[in-house]
Amino acid sequence: MTPETVTEARSIARRGIAWPRGLRRFARNGALEILALAGGALVWEALGWGLRLQWLPPFSKVMEALLQFLHSGVILANLGSSLQALLLGFSLSLVLGLIVGALMGRYRYVEKALDVYVHALFVCPSIVFAPIFFAVFGLSDASRIAIIVVYAMFVMVINTSTAIRTVDPSLVEMARSFGCRERQIFFRILLPASLPLVFAGIRLGMGRAVKGMINGEMLIAFVGLGALAQRYGAQFDAAKVFAIAMAVLIIGLLCNALVQILDNRLTRWAD
Amino acid sequence: MKTNLARDWGPRCVVFAAIVGLWEFFLSHSGNFLLPRFSEIVSGAYRLVFFEPRFWQALFISNQALLIGYAMSVAVGIPLGLIAGRLRWMDRILNPYVGVLLALPVAPLIPIVIIALGLGLAARVFIVVLFAVVFITVNTRAGVRGVEASLIEMAYSFGASEAQIWRRIVIPGAMPAIFAGMRIGLGRAITGMVMVELLLVATGLGRLLLEFSGRMQSDLVFATILVVIIEALSLLAAMQTIERRVARWAPDISVG
Amino acid sequence: MIKVRALSKAFGGYDHGSAEVLALSDIDLEVRDNEFVTVIGPSGCGKTTLLRIIAGLIPYDQGEVSIDGRAVIGPGPERAVVFQNFALMPWADVLSNVAFGLEIRGASTDQCQAKAKELIKLVGLQGFERRLPKELSGGMQQRVGLARALAVNPQILLMDEPFGALDEQTRRLLQEQLLRLWERERKTVVFITHSMDEAVMLGDRVMLMTPRPGRVKEMINVPLGRPRSREVEKSSAFLEIKEYLWDNLRAMQAGDA
Repeated sequence: MTPETVTEARSIARRGIAWPRGLRRFARNGALEILALAGGALVWEALGWGLRLQWLPPFSKVMEALLQFLHSGVILANLGSSLQALLLGFSLSLVLGLIVGALMGRYRYVEKALDVYVHALFVCPSIVFAPIFFAVFGLSDASRIAIIVVYAMFVMVINTSTAIRTVDPSLVEMARSFGCRERQIFFRILLPASLPLVFAGIRLGMGRAVKGMINGEMLIAFVGLGALAQRYGAQFDAAKVFAIAMAVLIIGLLCNALVQILDNRLTRWAD
Repeated sequence: MKTNLARDWGPRCVVFAAIVGLWEFFLSHSGNFLLPRFSEIVSGAYRLVFFEPRFWQALFISNQALLIGYAMSVAVGIPLGLIAGRLRWMDRILNPYVGVLLALPVAPLIPIVIIALGLGLAARVFIVVLFAVVFITVNTRAGVRGVEASLIEMAYSFGASEAQIWRRIVIPGAMPAIFAGMRIGLGRAITGMVMVELLLVATGLGRLLLEFSGRMQSDLVFATILVVIIEALSLLAAMQTIERRVARWAPDISVG
Repeated sequence: MIKVRALSKAFGGYDHGSAEVLALSDIDLEVRDNEFVTVIGPSGCGKTTLLRIIAGLIPYDQGEVSIDGRAVIGPGPERAVVFQNFALMPWADVLSNVAFGLEIRGASTDQCQAKAKELIKLVGLQGFERRLPKELSGGMQQRVGLARALAVNPQILLMDEPFGALDEQTRRLLQEQLLRLWERERKTVVFITHSMDEAVMLGDRVMLMTPRPGRVKEMINVPLGRPRSREVEKSSAFLEIKEYLWDNLRAMQAGDA
């Protein structure tokens, strides 16, 4: 697999939304960022009132719509369905991604057999598979779960296999010199050493899973938040559409934070 | 060399045959009449490409939005990334927006873009930009940040001006990352192109796809998907070839 | 002539929330024209900071730093730096790397090429003009760095542990090459090192520094003649100075090891 994927993963992971560690730095560095966001919201608000465009409701109206959603329970009802698919799809891609990735990282033969396909599936736009899943699974939950899996799985395969393949060989040699067997080498050396990069992949996979969730719901399975967005989009109710996008954004950030917390716990030793 | 090739492609072909075999096996046992056989997909693609004039028209329409949108993403994304990479305060202002854009689901916003820009080319172009630009910016910024400080110091020690440091050190040093960003952005741009056509603006390949599936011509549906995938993969492969050439000097860290 | 008087420099304190660290305190140094001064001290004694201040790469807090009577406020054409990590542009071939300083200083392309080729020959890299840095060994890379610095024909060469990243054999070969070059051109050189052999072998004087804060402990004259060869390593003067340096360095580092 290409090193670019790794740099990409690393750069995006670093760049990404590193909240918990960010929180600590917040007091010292956060002021300008907050100001920038607040300024953007103000500009949005002003433009909304000033231009009175149908597609640009003032920021406060969007917030109002979001609060209303929360209050009336509309979001919660649809959220449950969405999150269930997300959880199933993400868990499935996590398990598959880690296993396939580990096999590809450890066994050259597996890597040779699968790398072109994994890479192709990773780079080509996952959304084009939606009609295929629709044909195979119909209007069932399986369709949207399958979409989430193609969105999320391959970045984790690539990161995991790269992580295992690039573990410092002197560490493996060290373990061998102490008489470690294959199994011990894997669990005592390869697994912990590859964890930071694996987690970078998991974080990317999580982000992509959320996108797969909403896109799948909009395209094939007309349930959940995607269906809601689809409905209000058809009514051209911009404030509500923005509110749903905001809700999905928040879900994405929360999922990201969850992975990040786990990452910080498990890979404290890395940089 | 030749044995290497055989060793690499042997297992790949085995996997390919296994996938095709599984597909055929699945079909003969599921009785799902919506699914075409593998051979039907291939012949469908053949008919599509050589005997369907509307295919080329659709391809042209889709790629128009892709080309313009991608060019705009590059034109906006790279300068933003360069500035964010070198100016700390600018980076901090852009940072939260980059974070939001990376996590933002674009698909639900497509209707809003349609209200704002109509059902024409402009809306499709804008969506392509929305999909692609942030990835180009992020990678460019990372590339600028990744340029070794000692090189900038070295240039400074010879009395280089800020403009010379940019032209001689920062931009060449960031080039590999910029091209990586352009490749990732291209993939995203293609996603945007397909997404908008499937979701709302029924035009180009997306429209073709919807029509075929409406008429239950599933061999043509699959063939169209195949064509989109092939286009995406060839564009990305071409991009990667350029990228390799540009980044020839970079330390070779690829393994295997 | 390089003149440093009562120089102090502190790091940190700003932005990091930590206390300031005094890197250099009350440094006095005079380097005469055509003199080769080596600077040695344990890590953290600020020797690299001193060199970067003389190079005009970083500002200083107090004191004076001047070259031929003109205060140092930035890099200047009379100085050139050789960096510890070579600082070669990885995307540019040997020729372009050597020509870099000349191009920055506005020489014509033809001039740059000719001069760069001349220096590549001088450091013994002819035939490697089109190679990329990653295709060269560490020793060859630093010879490119040296050629780049010499190409702009500076009066003063500032060398920051230039051979520190090289293996012992390469390092000795490059030391000998540098000695021969210097004996021909007689540049003024400030040379940072952490090798006692290197300090005595190359320098007319050795400046010994103490850490935390960085101060000048002593300036030591090296009474070895020129031209020098490896033979001097066996002389009693060489061994005496080396031993004296070691006694001092050991005392400074006793707590650290």
